[in-house]
Amino acid sequence: MKLNKKFSASEFLRNNMAWVLLAVCCLIFGVISPNFFSLVNIINILNQNAYIIITALGISFIMMSGEVDISVGYAISLNGVVIALLMTKFGMSPVVAVIVAVLLGIVLCLVNMLIAYKLKLQLFMATVGTSTIFQGLAFVMTQSKTISNLPPSFKIIGQGYIGIIPIPVAIALVLLIVVSFILNKTYVGRYVFAIGGNVEAARLAGINVFGMKIFIASIAGFMTGIGAIILSARLGSVTANMGTGLEFTIITAVLLGGVSVRGGEGKISGVVAGVLILAILSNGMQLARLDVYYQFVAKGIIMLAAIGFDVYQLNRRKKITIKTQGGKENIKD
Amino acid sequence: MGKILELEHVSKLYPGVVALDDVSFSIEEGQVHALMGENGAGKSTLIKVISGAIKPEQGTIIIGGERYQSLTPALSKEKGVGVIYQEFNLVPTMSVVENIFLGERIGSKITPDFKKMREMAREIFDEFGVEINVDEMVSELTPGKQQLVEIAKTLTRNVKLIIMDEPSASISVADVKTLFEIIAKLKKKGVTIIYISHRMEEVFEIADVVSIMRDGHYIGTCAMKDVTRKELITMMVGRELNESYPERNIPKGECVLEVEHLYGNGDRDISFSLHQGEILGIAGLVGAGRTELAKVIYGAAKMDHGTIKVDGKTVKIRTPHDAIEAGIGYIPEDRKNEGAFLEFPIDWNISIMCLEKYSRRMVVEVKKIEELVEEFQKKLGIKAPSIKQYVKNLSGGNQQKVVVAKTLATNSRIIIFDEPTRGIDVGAKQEIYQLMNAMVQQGISIIMISSEMEELIGMSDRIIVMHEGKLAGELEKKDFSQNRILEYASGM
Repeated sequence: MKLNKKFSASEFLRNNMAWVLLAVCCLIFGVISPNFFSLVNIINILNQNAYIIITALGISFIMMSGEVDISVGYAISLNGVVIALLMTKFGMSPVVAVIVAVLLGIVLCLVNMLIAYKLKLQLFMATVGTSTIFQGLAFVMTQSKTISNLPPSFKIIGQGYIGIIPIPVAIALVLLIVVSFILNKTYVGRYVFAIGGNVEAARLAGINVFGMKIFIASIAGFMTGIGAIILSARLGSVTANMGTGLEFTIITAVLLGGVSVRGGEGKISGVVAGVLILAILSNGMQLARLDVYYQFVAKGIIMLAAIGFDVYQLNRRKKITIKTQGGKENIKD
Repeated sequence: MGKILELEHVSKLYPGVVALDDVSFSIEEGQVHALMGENGAGKSTLIKVISGAIKPEQGTIIIGGERYQSLTPALSKEKGVGVIYQEFNLVPTMSVVENIFLGERIGSKITPDFKKMREMAREIFDEFGVEINVDEMVSELTPGKQQLVEIAKTLTRNVKLIIMDEPSASISVADVKTLFEIIAKLKKKGVTIIYISHRMEEVFEIADVVSIMRDGHYIGTCAMKDVTRKELITMMVGRELNESYPERNIPKGECVLEVEHLYGNGDRDISFSLHQGEILGIAGLVGAGRTELAKVIYGAAKMDHGTIKVDGKTVKIRTPHDAIEAGIGYIPEDRKNEGAFLEFPIDWNISIMCLEKYSRRMVVEVKKIEELVEEFQKKLGIKAPSIKQYVKNLSGGNQQKVVVAKTLATNSRIIIFDEPTRGIDVGAKQEIYQLMNAMVQQGISIIMISSEMEELIGMSDRIIVMHEGKLAGELEKKDFSQNRILEYASGM
């Protein structure tokens, strides 16, 4: 009985690690700086990170299916640059630009997926190549200059409010609900987990693995497209490296959220908590007037800790299984 | 002569199984010592204990006069133990000589002396009396020759004890003869050999003594000259053989599956038919193309040419999904990597293939699935505290039942079982056999690929035998014999 209790406590911690960590972070920074818990600061944090949450929701589909995409930051830069140019240089209306951004997001993700599929590479390796291409294209198009003067009606998407809720936060909330519905309630969601858990078994179970990969890439692409729109609109201007480093934040957040590096597991709410942990760390460190560059060090340590915890839990569970099973057998004998 | 190796009260536990249970016995120096037992009897675990690959939970190993709680691979090597595993540990893209001396230092401290290595390798093969070009790439060699490279690898050190795990399983009959000559030569040199095999005739031909294992227990050791085949089988199985397969009496029905001139996935020109209510056994050695055939029929591998007819109608099967639609199910041999989703619960596993049927507008109907899974749990006797139990925490037999249920949930009428009882303990095997019989009774037709001769003969109504990607023969129930099957399987 004792063993069982311990087991479920660790199981609880594992399933909700991100939320527990988030609470701890909030408490620490709440004590350090009294401004932390003010409504303005909280809404501010959510608003600043809504686009990261949205993109992370998309990337977690990819990671749940057992792959890693590191091109997302550069895809967002490229996407932002393209729509900014279309709107400022060619006078495209913001509505059309939004559609273009979403479609371009999907295309970029599909390109990654198809390259990986055709060359029989891991998505990770394919995106090492494409991320440089995306970055290069973004710089070529902008000539390394900032594109400002985005139309005001476009900027509303990133800067407007519904009541006290910023529009980006509202969009993130809606998409969170949609994504958790797909993953937890539909059979397509189960197929995502099946592919991440065991591709070969999934194929032999009659699941159309290629079709699912296209679906996963499309969802991820849709989300990065939305992410690019919100980021560009909120900043009000676009540069070729506005998304640089985002992939790292997102992968760390998704891992913190309990999505396993090996795929096949994960709770979508944890991903949101993961993004918020990183956000609060940088926000808190700013409030505590720490040098910005310490944030890089802190994020790196957190990422390694998240992976380490994941692996540690896996090994631990293996050991527990052997112990309990072995014990049972002995009693029988 | 003294004892080269002794085991005292060795036990090893794995999740769900006791692989070795209080095993004590000893190996005399200079003998060929056969080790026999059914699949899952604990032979492989025993080897791993001796080679230092795993640590036993209890017991003592006495080797070279010294006592150890457990060995490490390095220590085991140092004591003169060499192991030839069923799966070769060779680097296919390196030459024979490079493989033989992999990880060893011949020559100066920095640069290896290839000339010396070549000479040493040639000496070993000359002594064996076999022709192998030591510069040839290992991937170019036949399995039989690859095995000789494995043996040569152990002989570069001062080896005293060679363990061979089913060395004849994947090589041709001619190569087996060469192997036996080499074993005789090694024995003359004073090397002790532990020879693991399922094949009676081999054991009677080369072994001096035989030890039997069953369900993780050590049963006994006999001198070959004092024991008969029947006695050995009784010791291995622990009961009379004919008792172990439940009776079945179903008239042969209509032809449900016809495969005509099928080419693809390494198989050539395969034609056979399957009737309703029949269990068709497919026999053959490892690598004969049986699993490959199953995967082509199931749409998991590409068919180059040929036709597949279900109920007399030609069906186009390009993906597993097509096969499932046509009523064909496949239960893979590699349960952990191809059959089950180990990190997911039982109900999730059983429902994964029929989700679309149990969904309304994309939304999974959890209640209906729970009912379905509970029904299967009862019907198949899946032993688990709840249907939410993770599959990796189940025993091999129960995992297999989950995989079978997963396929049954699609309402398949033709089911291909690939090694249905691999890695399952004896009790659970019986349950799987009874399950197969019950399925046949309900009108399902079964193709059973198996490497266990007794299972094939006990369960099948008819057996087809494959050899190197082709059909080598067909046997009706009245003509079943181990010898006939082995002859066909060896291409004789």
